[in-house]
Amino acid sequence: MSSAHEKPVDPDQVVLWSDDYEGHDVISTRTFGFWMYILSDGMLFATLFAAYGVLSYSHSYYTGPTPAQFVAPWYTFIQTMALFLSVLAYGFSMAAMKTGSKAGVINGIVASMVLGAVFIGLDIHDVLRMISMGVTPEVSGGLSAFYALTQVHAAHIFVGLIWMLVMLYQILKKGFTEDVVGRLISLRMFWQFQAVMWVFIYVFVYLWGYMS
Amino acid sequence: MLKKAKPGHWRYLALAPLLLLLNGCAKHSAWWIFNPQGVGAKASYDYMMIDVVVMLSIVGITALLIVWFMWKYHKGKNRGSYDGKWEHSNKLEVAFWGIPIAAVAFLSWAVAVHGSFAVNPYNPTVITQHMKPKGDPIDIDVIATDWQWLFIYPQFHNMAVANELVVPAHTPVFFKLTSTAVTTDFFVPQLVGMIDVMPGMRTKDALESSHLGTYQGIAADYCGAGMSWMLFKTHVVSMADFQHWAKGVESSPNTMDYAQFNRFAEPYINVHNKTPVYGHVEKGLFNHLLLEVMNGKKWPLPMFMTENMFHYLKLQAAEHRA
Amino acid sequence: MLVNLPGPWSPLLGRLALSEIPYTNPILAPLFVIIVLAGIALVVGITYYGKWGYLWKEWFTTVDHKKLGIMYIILGLIMLFRGFIDGLMMRTQQMLAVGSGHNGMPLMGAIHGYLAPFHFGQIYSAHGLIMILLAATPLLVGIMNIIVPLQIGARDMAYPYLNALGLWITAAAVFLIMISLFVGDFSHNGWFGYAPIFELAYSPGVGVDYWIWTLELVALGTTLGSINFLATVVKMRAPGVTWTRLPVFTWTAVSANIIALTSFPCLQVALALVGADRYLGTHFFTAGFGGNLMLYTNLFWLWGHPEVYFVILPAFGMISEVIPTFSEKPIFGYITMVLASFAIAGVSWIVWLHHFFTMGMGPYVSTEFSVATMLVGIPTGVKVFNWTFTMYRGRLTFSSAMIWSIGALFLLLIGGLTGMMLSIPAINYMVHNSVFVVAHFHMMLLCIVYAVFSAIIFWFPKVFGFKLNEAWGKIMFWLFSAGTFLVFFPMFMLGFMGETRRLDWPFNLQWAPWFDIQEVGIAVYVLSVLAFLWLIYVSIRDRAENRVGADAWGTSRSLEWITDSPVPFYNFAMVPHVNHRDEAAWRREHGFSDKRPEKFAAIHMPNNTPVAIVIGALTFVIGFGLTWRIWWLTVAALVLTVLVMIYRSGKGDPGYIITAEEMEKMDRESRQKMDDGHAPLPKGGGYTGGTVTAYSAEVGDPGSQSTPPGNSRPLS
Ligand code: HEA
Ligand code: HEA
Ligand code: CUA
Ligand SMILES: [Cu+2]
Repeated sequence: MSSAHEKPVDPDQVVLWSDDYEGHDVISTRTFGFWMYILSDGMLFATLFAAYGVLSYSHSYYTGPTPAQFVAPWYTFIQTMALFLSVLAYGFSMAAMKTGSKAGVINGIVASMVLGAVFIGLDIHDVLRMISMGVTPEVSGGLSAFYALTQVHAAHIFVGLIWMLVMLYQILKKGFTEDVVGRLISLRMFWQFQAVMWVFIYVFVYLWGYMS
Repeated sequence: MLKKAKPGHWRYLALAPLLLLLNGCAKHSAWWIFNPQGVGAKASYDYMMIDVVVMLSIVGITALLIVWFMWKYHKGKNRGSYDGKWEHSNKLEVAFWGIPIAAVAFLSWAVAVHGSFAVNPYNPTVITQHMKPKGDPIDIDVIATDWQWLFIYPQFHNMAVANELVVPAHTPVFFKLTSTAVTTDFFVPQLVGMIDVMPGMRTKDALESSHLGTYQGIAADYCGAGMSWMLFKTHVVSMADFQHWAKGVESSPNTMDYAQFNRFAEPYINVHNKTPVYGHVEKGLFNHLLLEVMNGKKWPLPMFMTENMFHYLKLQAAEHRA
Repeated sequence: MLVNLPGPWSPLLGRLALSEIPYTNPILAPLFVIIVLAGIALVVGITYYGKWGYLWKEWFTTVDHKKLGIMYIILGLIMLFRGFIDGLMMRTQQMLAVGSGHNGMPLMGAIHGYLAPFHFGQIYSAHGLIMILLAATPLLVGIMNIIVPLQIGARDMAYPYLNALGLWITAAAVFLIMISLFVGDFSHNGWFGYAPIFELAYSPGVGVDYWIWTLELVALGTTLGSINFLATVVKMRAPGVTWTRLPVFTWTAVSANIIALTSFPCLQVALALVGADRYLGTHFFTAGFGGNLMLYTNLFWLWGHPEVYFVILPAFGMISEVIPTFSEKPIFGYITMVLASFAIAGVSWIVWLHHFFTMGMGPYVSTEFSVATMLVGIPTGVKVFNWTFTMYRGRLTFSSAMIWSIGALFLLLIGGLTGMMLSIPAINYMVHNSVFVVAHFHMMLLCIVYAVFSAIIFWFPKVFGFKLNEAWGKIMFWLFSAGTFLVFFPMFMLGFMGETRRLDWPFNLQWAPWFDIQEVGIAVYVLSVLAFLWLIYVSIRDRAENRVGADAWGTSRSLEWITDSPVPFYNFAMVPHVNHRDEAAWRREHGFSDKRPEKFAAIHMPNNTPVAIVIGALTFVIGFGLTWRIWWLTVAALVLTVLVMIYRSGKGDPGYIITAEEMEKMDRESRQKMDDGHAPLPKGGGYTGGTVTAYSAEVGDPGSQSTPPGNSRPLS
């Protein structure tokens, strides 16, 4: 069906060059690439989850404490809420962008940042609490995996906050250029993705850990 | 362009080794894999032959086809007819998928499934199914250190011998294995395949042989500087000889408790091929050790051993002289 | 949190001290001197000829996918050479050390031969890592970089800047592993590492740290690259390039990069956890404290196995381009060829356990993974059969590119046969960790090397405008093949004789004759390297006679062959409209080959940027700082990296516009250049204010310091 010379070709009709080719769409290309990044980040979390799964048998905690003894699901629930509200605020900000409201976008991002900072603050506080209880990653393989999973997530959130800060500056400085809009879209994907990952962490690490 | 000498002719040379692979020079004992002397090793060898015959028939024919096409369709030689449009054939495509599918199906069933059970290190049916009711199997606890082997015979007064393994012929031998420091691999090429030996963990393996002789045992997985020297001779001897030998070892005044084992487990390259025997080692040493390692016990490597061996060699030489 | 180190540490220099430099080592010290002298000579030479500006403008800051590809390939070839020297040292050690006596001739702290056990361990570890990740991978990525955009009619990759970043991060990894030769040592635990021997207690030096950070850097660079390739193929295809018209090479690039994108994160995590164990005292892979050392092995091979298919698939793609071209036929069974690539990529995910059957996981699990592994043989077989039947009824020309490809087929067959043996647990127990395995994977990996040489010869004229010398290409092929045969046939035999791998002292004297044969093979390999250098030299010397037009081979098939050779920096003066899978062949058959665009349009090109190379340098500093635990340096470099990234993001890249008239003019010039081989090549403007030429300079054309095209205007 694809042999090189089947149908006769009319040399006057044939199109050899794309005269009206507009080039690729920058924003959608950027977004596609960012999806790819999200996929690889997903694999990263999947691997950490796998490690956590393998290292969450009771013997993995050696003689040290198991999550049931130190996690505080209600406390972490506040973190969950902070992160969800942050995503929501970011959503408002993106809605404002559709209407072209610079103030709306900025307010949304600031709110999102504050809530994200609350999340991080709570996380740091929680870690300090656990460390003061002697729950440190050096105690056992299980705790190592616990810290790796939760703190890698926290590191992502931290990067997201820096990113938001940069975006605030860029919006103020440049307005809604193609680059800025593209980055805001990517950041939304990033932020939502971290929230989704958090749901898994909350359920499998905190709730499950608390119950078992 | 090449002149007369066609690459095609050289190709036959490249195929020669494949033929050699097949008929194997099994008579020389140097070809350990082709000269299995243990029940497990023999089974593996048989499976290998089935696999090679099936695969070689397909791969070999493919290779011949390539060579033939190279000869026939060589441009300018006018041996075959050219058809620049021919790029698809349903029949051929079905064959191309079908042949390997059939071959893989056959190999999966005949070799993968059967073989995995036959030589399953934890319960090799080639040994366990034909276990003689009389003649108790022998248990041996194997402890790998950096870089020595300790073989403990619980049924024989808990005697032990380092860096040398003696087993009676016609008798199943069951191993439990663990390691003090790092992961390695227990391997006697002519008798039994590999099994990992890991710290804080216990693996199992089994061996049976009816061929008296001495076979080389190897630490087959990289475990540090002394790995090449971490060898042990395996002697398959008659039951009578074995009993006799065991008597001798049991009566050795040398014994080993956990404190002594601690010293034994320190990094040591067995360059001088020492094979000390111990008339008795502390009961339960194997499990004790397993527990200790799980509790974090280590026999760390001193820095100088990873950098320059001169220092270590001097120590060794001094010790050897003493 | 930080662990206690077994050696000294200072806040300023971390673990680094003068004693870490092996100036007393009789091999490394002279080598170091030679390399430093060569480096100085290079620097002086470049300064003398005033080429720094040229290098900086045309190469170090470029975002052109072809130039980046060329640099990837050069990097890969240099590392291939380094890996070969490692191979030479290993082979020589085993030849010298073999035997039963234990008083040999101890040199350099060795007990046997001339290498101390740990030194030998470092060599094979570095060899394996370098060959797979810093030689094969850059070579393949480089070729994909050059060819994939051309095959789909794109002006560049989707993210040119990211592309440059990938290259320079890979280069940082290369520097890190090279510096481990002279400062400190390298890991001795094999290229894949073992738990728990890589823990601080058993590997107290910095070797393992070098290993971790080198791998992390390559993983990062490769992941970035894979995102770029996928976006390029999905988003940047020229009109008419439908999915069923993608050349097979591009398809294999897609399948390979899907593997890379999804598997490299596993490696990154696995190594980060090793790092945590060593730096922070966690217990992921320790034997005690609830760690699980088998977890490491699983995580590593969860990446490691897909990785080997990530490297073989593009090689398959190259073979799929070369064989049809020199058979003067389209590829046989295009659809199944594509399906087979994806089948291989899919199955590659579920076979990792075959690397440690000997862990004793029970017959059910073993069997499952054994069968899954054998499944890979099916699509691979389909590919082999398709290539074979591409030659059937063809008109075969045994050019040097073609014979390298056919050589690759034979290696694939032998490697596949032995792979199918390894995949069966009952057999695997006998040959796992033996040199039989080593021989198996060298067949496969050399299949890649053969395909790469084939591809380099095949696409060289496209990139540089002239062909490589055919005769020397063939001489090199035969020398290289003789070397391969002499080294690896004995290695299979030694596997059957029970030689396990990584023996710095092979104890059995019966192996000695085979080692001697292998050493002869190494000598022949050396000749092949010389033949390669000579090949490059004579080809450049005689380039005037070997100039080619757009369709360099006269029987070429895919889209890249319709644009000029050498490819101008804008790839296509007008984006082509693609009518057929084998567009070049189709145009040739219908007599359109000489048609050039009549209408032109303005195009937008990205600017050069120094940011990528700066970030690359910073990642090197981060890796070095982490290895030696120089915390202030690490933190400083990390912060700087972030700042540079933010700076770049603020600045953005507006690119620049080439107007339609300029384009027309450049197209004419390019044509002229192809016809008489002397006219200057078209020039483009770059961000750093420099010029972007096509590849005139490295073939000795002095016309590279000209100004940007007349009235191309920067955008901003
Ligand atoms: C792509 C991967 C690759 C390639 C190509 C090779 C190629 C070679 N390898 Fe390698 N090897 C590995 C990957 C590779 N290897 C891996 C992964 C291991 C396992 C490591 C471990 O145990 O952890 C290994 C281990 C390994 C061993 C260890 C065996 C043991 O464990 O006991 C040996 C020993 O002989 C060896 C030898 C060789 C030789 C002789 C070549 C030759 O084929 C080399 C041929 C190359 C050339 C002849 C160079 C040609 C170069 C040019 C033409 C460019 C010149 C350019 C300039 C000068 C700028 N290899
Ligand atoms: C490019 C690299 C590459 C490729 C393509 C392959 C391909 C294959 N490999 Fe290999 N392999 C490695 C690189 C590669 N391997 C490396 C680097 C290691 C060791 C790393 C280390 O330990 O350091 C390794 C180790 C390795 C092991 C572990 C050995 C051990 O340590 O004990 C196994 C076991 O199953 C294996 C199997 C296979 C199989 C079945 C294939 C199959 O894909 C082969 C398929 C091809 C064919 C089968 C031939 C063509 C087909 C036909 C002509 C049709 C007929 C076919 C059938 C009937 C099935 N490989
Ligand atoms: Cu596998 Cu312990
Ligand atoms: Cu594999």
